[in-house]
Amino acid sequence: MTWRTAIGTLAVVLTSIITAFWLINEPARMAEAEEGFEGRSIEAGAALFENNCTRCHGPQGQGLPGLAPGLNTQEMFDGTRVAEVGWAGTLHDFLYSTIAGGRPVPSAGTTYPQRMPTWSQEFGGPLRIDQVRDLTNFVLNWGEAYELGIAPTVQKVVTNPIDPVGTDLSTPVLPNGDAQAGEELTTTLGCVACHVQTDVGPAWLAEADPNGEGIGTRASARIEETNYTGTATNSEQYLRESIVLPDAFVVDGYPPSTMVMTYGETLSKQDLADLIAYLVTLK
Amino acid sequence: MALFEVHIPILDDIKAKGLVPTLIAKTDEAVLRLTAGLNVEEIRSVLRGDPPKRPNPRTKPHADGFWMHMRPTYFHKKVMTLYPTFRLGWLSVYFLVFETITGLVLMLWYTPSPLVAFENMINIISNVPFGMMMRDLHRLGAEFMVMVVLLHMLRTFITGSYKKPRQFTWFTGGVLLLLTLFLSFSGYLLPWDQLSLWAVTIGASMAEATPVIGREVNLLVRGGPDFGTNGLLRFYLLHVFALPLIAFIFLGVHYYKVIIHAHSLPPGEENPGEDTARKIPMDKRSYFLPDVATKEIYWIVMWTGLLILMVTVGGWHAPLEPHADSQVTPLHTTAPWYFLWLQGMLKLGDKVFWGVIAPGILVNLVFVIPYLEVGPSRRYVHRRIGLTIAAVSVVAFSALTYMGTPYYAVSSSADQEVVAALVPQTHPGPLRGTPFEELPAGEYTTKQWDNAPSEGLGELLELFQHELHKYDDELPESEGIMVIEDWQVGLKKITFRVLWNEGDNSFSQFVFLHENSGYEE
Repeated sequence: MTWRTAIGTLAVVLTSIITAFWLINEPARMAEAEEGFEGRSIEAGAALFENNCTRCHGPQGQGLPGLAPGLNTQEMFDGTRVAEVGWAGTLHDFLYSTIAGGRPVPSAGTTYPQRMPTWSQEFGGPLRIDQVRDLTNFVLNWGEAYELGIAPTVQKVVTNPIDPVGTDLSTPVLPNGDAQAGEELTTTLGCVACHVQTDVGPAWLAEADPNGEGIGTRASARIEETNYTGTATNSEQYLRESIVLPDAFVVDGYPPSTMVMTYGETLSKQDLADLIAYLVTLK
Repeated sequence: MALFEVHIPILDDIKAKGLVPTLIAKTDEAVLRLTAGLNVEEIRSVLRGDPPKRPNPRTKPHADGFWMHMRPTYFHKKVMTLYPTFRLGWLSVYFLVFETITGLVLMLWYTPSPLVAFENMINIISNVPFGMMMRDLHRLGAEFMVMVVLLHMLRTFITGSYKKPRQFTWFTGGVLLLLTLFLSFSGYLLPWDQLSLWAVTIGASMAEATPVIGREVNLLVRGGPDFGTNGLLRFYLLHVFALPLIAFIFLGVHYYKVIIHAHSLPPGEENPGEDTARKIPMDKRSYFLPDVATKEIYWIVMWTGLLILMVTVGGWHAPLEPHADSQVTPLHTTAPWYFLWLQGMLKLGDKVFWGVIAPGILVNLVFVIPYLEVGPSRRYVHRRIGLTIAAVSVVAFSALTYMGTPYYAVSSSADQEVVAALVPQTHPGPLRGTPFEELPAGEYTTKQWDNAPSEGLGELLELFQHELHKYDDELPESEGIMVIEDWQVGLKKITFRVLWNEGDNSFSQFVFLHENSGYEE
């Protein structure tokens, strides 16, 4: 019994010492755990953003002209944006409630053709409350870069408003396009945000098509279809029409007025020529 | 004439004997009453290890006290050693009490609602002092409890202690085993993370296979077609109220039977067919006070110390995966380990037969064993068939358990398996365990594993390569590409691409990683 008493007493002392050390370290551990959960929340938010938000707000939240405003901007984090919309609360609350409730009415000074949908399940959206919180944390985390004064790694959307191509399909005649520049434009303009359908790449590639046809082939076939409502007579014209006048012909299964309508005003002639030059090569 | 008279007897005593002797006498009296029979002097004598006086005053608490009357006055010396009981029955009770105490603490911080349950976990871990420790202890204790109860049953079978007159003790033990499993299982759901939702979903899918009334049973268990608010509340109430209540009732019956039949002696100690456990000769008695009591205190201290050691210095922590999501089924999701055998059986074939009928027969067989197997001898040499069946059952259950894991007959595709080896969906895994700064932005192929820019990245690429080679048949001429992008301050996007057939086929998957996330592999 004596050795048992000795070992038992020792065990009590050791357990007490361990517990005491644990207690001393508890505030630091809790703070670290809290940071950890915030990090995981940002990770979850990033994945949600990738799956739900990039189609309108761009892959890096830079916004898509004519579709949705940028979130990853100086104005968002220096207070300009909240002041602009007349929001009296914090930026966190602004983001959270906008994501949760969407934008049933356009915010001051904007005229986007589409309304932002509601996202929280509370308001009939698809996301749980914790997911809305994760998204908010992710968007807020862009602010870190502005706070630290490091330029965001995001490339600004390339637009050339000086010499827009317009929506008149007959004139002007486009300059010669550069297919390689066109391919780059599909990324910088944010086309890939909406036109990504498979894991092999953007929807215009032959690999992404169930019939194995690239957009160049598809374009020449479409104008032959009996229900074609546009005016194009060759695939270049069809692509031009589809970009600057998306509603001229809408492919079966897609709702009208889904694509951004403003490319006629925002694209330069050269950009459009490059884009078409790239797309027609995709047979 | 006084309006009322106050008479305090202690004052008379003080007047007569003095203050200190009176206080000593009164303390002694209080101790005597509290212990239902032992005064201070006797307690000191117990602690010193003095032999008892005659008649033994230390048996009085067993007769007069509530708690002590539940414990025998003395045990047979032969059952006080590690063999034959291995203290497994006692340990089961220890863990039941341990789980009750830690569980009550956790209840203070928990609301059974899918809206806040997971957030409660985050709060317990990051905002409640000792909260994480309590959660870890509760979870660890639950794992131990299941193991200990299973081993207790196995031991009882091996020593033949289920035989006459202890058949009903075994029966109630079977009920307690089921209750232990369901207590642990119902607790699984409460954190409301991916792990809990899917482990319980797999377990509960058995309910759906019930013949004829499968739909109704399923609705009853889950509170709806899927787990949600109702299902969580049901599991919570089962976990904290119904199951513990039934468990304590059956524990009472079980232990009462243990007391009235006494612990069975080691099989070799008595003649076949005899049961001499209750007739303990004077010289074979080991008295509860002090021998058993001190040993129990000793084991309480040692086990509690061990558990605390494991969750602090040992670094054992209860897992917590991302928030439950009924839309996203994680790859490799499994039932809790003690139900893996059931998951293994389901892989054998028909859901109704292997998921409901076969386990039903097995469980019922456990209950009726003592009434079917009525051979009188408990000696090992006389029970070769029974012990062989037990050994075969242990092997069979181990095999079925292995078959229940994702390593056996999983149908997911090789490309997904490769990526899941790097970023598993059921635990953090190698990528999340790699230091954040060892993941520089860039595009890397598995061929670069031996000249990667950092050690951690090199190890990941090597593992990637290794995993690809495992599936050379399914993924011929494969190559792995890992793209790391700086996504935000402190946030990276990591894309895994698997290319095979010279790049004709591909699969890709991305994850995000934040530098503060603090995953442990």
